[in-house]
Amino acid sequence: MAVDQGLQSELQKQGVYLTTWDQLANWGRSNSIWPLQFGLACCAIEMIATAASRYDIARFGSELFRASPRQADLMIVAGTVTKKMAPQVVRLYNQMAEPKYVISMGACATSGGPFHTGYNVLKGIDRYIPVDVYIPGCPPTPQALLEGLMKLQERIRSRPFGAAMDEKRGEYPVPEFGKAGLEPRYNPDMFQPRKGWWEEPAKPATPSSTP
Amino acid sequence: MTILGVGVLKGLGVTLKTFLETYPWGRVLLRAVGIPSANGLVTIQYPDERQQHSERFRYFPFLVYDKTPDDLRCVSCKICEQECPPACIHIVGPAKDEQGRPLKAHGRTYPVKFDIDMAICMSCRICVDVCPFDAIEMDNQYEFASPDRFGRLVFDKQQLLKSAEYFKQIKPSEAAEVDARLAAKQAKTAPPAKPAVPPNPSSA
Repeated sequence: MAVDQGLQSELQKQGVYLTTWDQLANWGRSNSIWPLQFGLACCAIEMIATAASRYDIARFGSELFRASPRQADLMIVAGTVTKKMAPQVVRLYNQMAEPKYVISMGACATSGGPFHTGYNVLKGIDRYIPVDVYIPGCPPTPQALLEGLMKLQERIRSRPFGAAMDEKRGEYPVPEFGKAGLEPRYNPDMFQPRKGWWEEPAKPATPSSTP
Repeated sequence: MTILGVGVLKGLGVTLKTFLETYPWGRVLLRAVGIPSANGLVTIQYPDERQQHSERFRYFPFLVYDKTPDDLRCVSCKICEQECPPACIHIVGPAKDEQGRPLKAHGRTYPVKFDIDMAICMSCRICVDVCPFDAIEMDNQYEFASPDRFGRLVFDKQQLLKSAEYFKQIKPSEAAEVDARLAAKQAKTAPPAKPAVPPNPSSA
């Protein structure tokens, strides 16, 4: 960053270690991401497997799954977010320590997954809280989760501590679970619905249909 | 006649084998006895080494092409789009010219657009089962984590296209099965097709 890379490595050979406050803080922060211990569906089983000995999330410093949102930096939304559960998820996010990060793990948390045509499942947690990394898969393998965690670490290291503190703070409005589902249906600051984003913008078939 | 407890002993044997596989001396012991041994319960150092998945491990589907990327097996029949339980496949096609006649590449119609939303896909393999042309197969890549949900996780045709050689590489036995099936189909259609070829250019 501030210190030239070549000079830094040259100095390291002489036993002089230089760094910046940002690098030091981000190094510490990115290697001690404490996730919030909560699972919503089958993705949580893969998350548990990731924490166990074969994949060993402790190698990345994230083995401390905290039972309290006040002690957690990272929320791994692992599983189907039902509309009844969504307000609680947003509330847990609001209670987390700043700066806070979110990993949307699996198809359900990202988009509603197999239930995205249903009536009772939230079609993506990004409608209410900002997501940093999406991991596709149903469920993602433990290695995919580790890859997502590494992506998040890169993201944490890539921006200054102060900027992260400004970005990753604040509370988001908690939706209300009413008679007609969630109210509001999405947070307009976070999410805008895309209409027909997979369709052709203009159909060349119109001239053939007129005669 | 069955002896009680044989199953329990067998299960304990599996546990013992896994326990021995976990340690180097155990693997040496097993090799000395002549039992094939894997790496037991050793931590996989993920970014440096990757788990050896079985051949049947599947993640997301991909489109198969035979020799060149425009020679894809998909004819845009949209059966997979209809059968997909989470409805994550979106196909526009088949490609047509101005008069509305289907365009053909290598004797087959082809899709204009073939998108799969990987953020919805549930890896059920139903698209592969229903495809009558063996045009879609399951991949074993799983590293797709990204901060951009709509930009990176919606795969278009170019991202989905992979060669038949690649399929043969990742799933040899399944590819052999598919190749045998395709060859049989070609053999069945080829003899009546040969006499049918001369009238075709005259009619067209």
